[in-house]
Amino acid sequence: MFPETSRCVTAALSPFSQTALWKDLSRCSVTHGPALCCHQPRRHLSVSRCLTAKAPPPPRSPREKVHIPGLEMVTYADRMHFVPGLAKPVSPQWERSYKDPRFYKSPPRHEMPLYKEKPCYIFNQRSNILEGVRQALWLTKTKLISGLPPQLLMAVEDPANQIPDQDERVQNAIKHARFWDTTEERPNKDNTALLTNLLHLCATLKCSHPATSRRTLAEEYSLAASWSRGEDLFQVRGRNGLLHNCMDPLPAVSGREEVAETAAHALESFYPVSPTIDLHKTQEYRENVNCTGFRADFPYPHAHTVYFLDGADTRYKLNREQFRAKMLMFTFGNALARAHILYGSVLDCPITVQAVGTNGRIFQFLVFQLNTTDLTGDHGVKNQVWLEGDVMLYDFAKVRPRIKKKQVVVPAGLAGYKPETFSKFLALYLHGAV
Amino acid sequence: MSLSCLTRALRSLTISQHTLLSSQAAVQRKLGAQMPTTIVQCRGFLTTVPLEQNRKNWKKMEKYTIRPIGMKKTGGRDHTGRIRVHGIGGGHKQRYRWVDFQRLRYEEGKEDKPFEEKVVEVRYDPCRSAGIALVAGGNRKRWIIATENMESGDMIKTSGVIGRMAVLAKEGDAHPLGALPVGTLVNNLETEPGKGAQFIRAAGTSGILLRKVNGTAIVQLPSKQQVQVLENCMVTVGRVSNIDHNKRIIGKAGHNRHLGIRPSSGRWQRKGGWAGRKIKPLPAMKNYVNLPSITGQ
Repeated sequence: MFPETSRCVTAALSPFSQTALWKDLSRCSVTHGPALCCHQPRRHLSVSRCLTAKAPPPPRSPREKVHIPGLEMVTYADRMHFVPGLAKPVSPQWERSYKDPRFYKSPPRHEMPLYKEKPCYIFNQRSNILEGVRQALWLTKTKLISGLPPQLLMAVEDPANQIPDQDERVQNAIKHARFWDTTEERPNKDNTALLTNLLHLCATLKCSHPATSRRTLAEEYSLAASWSRGEDLFQVRGRNGLLHNCMDPLPAVSGREEVAETAAHALESFYPVSPTIDLHKTQEYRENVNCTGFRADFPYPHAHTVYFLDGADTRYKLNREQFRAKMLMFTFGNALARAHILYGSVLDCPITVQAVGTNGRIFQFLVFQLNTTDLTGDHGVKNQVWLEGDVMLYDFAKVRPRIKKKQVVVPAGLAGYKPETFSKFLALYLHGAV
Repeated sequence: MSLSCLTRALRSLTISQHTLLSSQAAVQRKLGAQMPTTIVQCRGFLTTVPLEQNRKNWKKMEKYTIRPIGMKKTGGRDHTGRIRVHGIGGGHKQRYRWVDFQRLRYEEGKEDKPFEEKVVEVRYDPCRSAGIALVAGGNRKRWIIATENMESGDMIKTSGVIGRMAVLAKEGDAHPLGALPVGTLVNNLETEPGKGAQFIRAAGTSGILLRKVNGTAIVQLPSKQQVQVLENCMVTVGRVSNIDHNKRIIGKAGHNRHLGIRPSSGRWQRKGGWAGRKIKPLPAMKNYVNLPSITGQ
């Protein structure tokens, strides 16, 4: 019975075996020259990925390794090549004896020297906080007063405190920054030229106001200030702005009674958004770090005004609301760092720091007064900020006129100059020197 | 890599026999069908190493981000380079905004409590027909699918609680199906609790909660098909935004090209069985509930 069935099977398999023979022959033709012309191997001269590209195999789960005590694995280490059946030798992890920064591997988070259990929320110069000034007010425990303090603006109305030919010289400064300083077709407005021009113009008052000569400008200073608010730790860190330092501290803007009145002010909340949203949360930080960025024996220790340039750094972009919040946070940071150095934990007298932000056309003015360093609770005396935002120095500065429907809508050159904006700038500059 | 490709290609071009190759063939004959294709099939004349063109890594990120992610055009090709979907190619460059479809994603340390979020922005999304909304709550922000009347400044609530009474839900709120009254218009339906919304996400669509039976809920999809899911599957109340999506006028052939859709074949084809109206019975209700069977108990 069995031989019969085997014969049947071979008969049934014979067509397959023939095809198999053909395949073998064609393979032979590859190796042993062109024996059969009609069965040349295909040479894929056309470039195609489909032939060899396969879906990558799913990652295999590593095999479970069993260690039996007393048993030693036989490996192919002494043979120095792979031998099937023998185990793969395990060599210890090689560590280089020298330091190579290209292959540096940071230790795990909890083994870092600065690791703390409690997280800290860090505000830096590129922080784009969602709620803007409202959030910054909560973080710094500050009461907002819109508009600059009137006594500051009153001082500039006196002609003795003004620059001779003020309007003409300011317009020349704008024209220099926007037209004469560059050879471009469409000059960029966010550069430092306008700010330096205006500062230079203000500095011409040194003869009539000798107190303004007791100042210096610092660029790229780095700041660090830390405080706790509620149950969280906060820090302001970063390097931005142009700082006007002064030998003498700025006088307080509001008196003791006004400061005492701020205790009744209730801070605005923005439920359901948490105040710590968009701040950088980290567990590796230095505790109680307070640094104004200058040494203790620096002859100009007091921060006078911080000048911020919007759009100077192209790596990040802030909306105007967020830009104002950044100004407020950094001004607060300057004041707080100074207060911790001067007075320690309890603040004896208020510290005032000013800030001016610009993008080359629109100005933001801010005066901050630090009344308290006890920021943990929501009760008690609040800090104060006078904020005047979105003030235009001029409407348009165009190289070519804007023409709509053959009508000149905006003429070429400087248009719509607003002198009161510069007087605010001058008022902040002369604060403390009048 | 490229050098090895080149040498292999040149070897395939030689007419005279190769000593190494003959030995390989002998080995192959000995081994039989062990390694049939690897040696015979020679790789084509590749001049460049294939680059990682169709990488999917842009979607494989560990940490959630609201930043738009740059993505590459596939042209309908899959990872092997073959055409998987016809009629795709070109179009305006698009960026992917990572939509969080799991609406009931608790923040760390605030589990099992209903939470509220504020709508920051409602905007167009190039990757889908519906609009998307940026919502902020607690310490995080995320993108979700916007509902019909959602505006910036709105408060939306998310709750995983099924109470004894049906809730009076506002549009844009998210509740489990068991908490909603029968007949509610819903969207962003999950098939399994915690899986993330998979149904009713296209522009202007909405489903109806038909009935609630024995710990499950039956929802009618926009296609009129009915699905049965567990009652703690999350849904959003209301209708998906961009309700006039089907009324927009394409206007010209180039508009479809801007959208990345290539023209279909202009060849005349005889109308067959696919054309004309068909009357079919409604498909059976789809069941996503794996209840233990009675016999198994």
